[in-house]
Amino acid sequence: MVGQVVISGLLAGALYSLVALGLALIFGVMRVINIAHGTILMLGAYTTFWWFHLLGVNPYLSLLASMPLMFLLGLLLQRTLVTRVVDAPELSSLLLTFGISIALVNIAQLAFTSDLRSVEFLTGAFLVGPIALSKSRLISFAFAVTITLLAFWFIQKTKLGKAIRATSQNSEVAMICGINVPRIRLYAFGIASALAGAGGSLVAVMFAIQPEMGQVYTFKSFLVIVLGGAGNYPGALLGGMLLGLVEQLSSLFLTTQLSEAVAYVLLVLVLLVRPSGLLGGRER
Amino acid sequence: MKTAKQLGTANQWILLLCLSLVLFPWQPVFAQAPIKIGASLSLTGSYAALGQNQHRGYQLCTKHANEKGGVLGRKVEFVLYDDQSLPATGVRLYERLITQDKVDAIMGPYSSAITEAVANVNERYKMPMVAPMASTTAIFRKGRKFIFMVQSAAEVYLEGLIDMAAKRGLKSVAIINEDTLFPKATVQGTIDLAKKKGLQVVFVEGYPKGNTDFSAILTKVRAASPDVFGAATYFDDAVAITRQMKELNVNPKMYGVTVGGDLPKFYELLGKNAEFVYGATQWEPELPYPGAKEFTESYKKEFSGADLSYHSAGGYAGCQILVEAIKRARSLDGEKIRAEIAKLDTTTVYGGFKVDEGGFQISHKMVMFQWQNGKKVIVWPDELAGGKARFPTPQWSQR
Repeated sequence: MVGQVVISGLLAGALYSLVALGLALIFGVMRVINIAHGTILMLGAYTTFWWFHLLGVNPYLSLLASMPLMFLLGLLLQRTLVTRVVDAPELSSLLLTFGISIALVNIAQLAFTSDLRSVEFLTGAFLVGPIALSKSRLISFAFAVTITLLAFWFIQKTKLGKAIRATSQNSEVAMICGINVPRIRLYAFGIASALAGAGGSLVAVMFAIQPEMGQVYTFKSFLVIVLGGAGNYPGALLGGMLLGLVEQLSSLFLTTQLSEAVAYVLLVLVLLVRPSGLLGGRER
Repeated sequence: MKTAKQLGTANQWILLLCLSLVLFPWQPVFAQAPIKIGASLSLTGSYAALGQNQHRGYQLCTKHANEKGGVLGRKVEFVLYDDQSLPATGVRLYERLITQDKVDAIMGPYSSAITEAVANVNERYKMPMVAPMASTTAIFRKGRKFIFMVQSAAEVYLEGLIDMAAKRGLKSVAIINEDTLFPKATVQGTIDLAKKKGLQVVFVEGYPKGNTDFSAILTKVRAASPDVFGAATYFDDAVAITRQMKELNVNPKMYGVTVGGDLPKFYELLGKNAEFVYGATQWEPELPYPGAKEFTESYKKEFSGADLSYHSAGGYAGCQILVEAIKRARSLDGEKIRAEIAKLDTTTVYGGFKVDEGGFQISHKMVMFQWQNGKKVIVWPDELAGGKARFPTPQWSQR
């Protein structure tokens, strides 16, 4: 039973890592906590739903649509709105992204109705001895890990990625060194949104979707990046896996009602003992 | 000043109006302002699918009431808000309906949890509230005078599942529930019923509202390997649990859900995976209640393609009960309407209606169905059954 639950935890955790990495990216580069992150995930999920519903093509291929679409949406949001509050006090950006989130959720309710939708593509499980491996979750896991690692490689190795990290470390120095900081912020928001969009596509294949589904992912991502150290990218990966495991194990050994509380108690403990998160604060 | 010609035109119009009244007397003309009935429903949020069905019931009820000449010679209309499935919002909206919108009467919201929260508001303003979608006994056991239950209690939702299981000699049962008022009451009732029928309850656990990942709790259910598995659900969770049972290979001999399993959408979303699932329902269109057939037909005509479930019929019947009580009271006075509802003993499209002194429903009956080839076949109780249960539920790997 423990084995089954650990696997469930890792399968869920990979997704949290993927989505939280996006949130960490925006926070790292701009010091903005993007409340609309989960909302963008929701739009990614709907992209997959409509892709599958209208075209009938393999829903995993919809990543090819949801990621670019959400990337563009991210650019648009950053260009028109978020850029105005980047250097303002943090409350302004919270309010702004909160507003964006409410607006997008309501637009989705109008456009898609609040009916529950689902992508019935691969249901069921592979049975390995006593352990059942959900087909859809296993494949989503593989995609989540791949995309997360690619994004991570991108941040670590490419020139743009290095510029993003430089901006995270100190935007003023980065600017002096000739990095076009507004442009980096634009890309960071776009990439982060693409990651949320990818998360949404993968969620859509596992769970039923509706316009308000995103909120919980915003909260979870927030939890993950605080656990891992705000603005610390490897920390987001670790935090995601940890959250997945903690949630599942606590609902195994305690009760399901308590599992969410346990995750937040863990957050408080981490903040007490290591205020800068498990792997320390922003990148140095 | 008006010229003679204009006056003549005006007179002609009046004449035409009088003529039309004589010629078309069946077209009700309402001289007075409409009777406003206030309600908030869960049109968005986690109860949205069910709240919307109830909403259509209310809409059809007003349409029919107005076609029959309205109530007390006045048109009836709803002032309706969306409580987003949140009890606190419901409370605020009913305060607003009563104090600011000054509605003449009110109807209940969706779900026990929201009704329980709202019941204190209408009680304070002495406004009777027919609550079609509240099935938790406790709401009607707090000495309230102005709230009336329409359907069967939460405690007996899974009676059919337990009864069928006992008759087939099954021994153990596991139950999970959304951790809110109504599902908790269902669990308590089911535990009592199971004990009475000699079944052993091997696992009981709640999960928070809005939960989407049931892997851990279902892993525990699998480890308890019950013969019967009951889930006290709403809609979203019923879908997720069924789907994740397949993912985790949970194989009880019978599996039933309380709310949500009866919606056509349940089958639309799950497809073949919904086969063999038992569901509790307060009402099905084919049940032989007076007016049920006509209700179903006009519902399908009015809202073609829309979901039809017991929530729709319950909303319709509850609203009809209010309308009937206002007619009998010949007044919009809250106390008088209350007295009339309390006296009613009737059968609506939804089944029996009679309440005890606490407003608790004592006449309505539950039924249990099973999804068979995409159709809901009523399998319990025997006297209303339209078919036989397919038993036992095969393992997921053998479907």
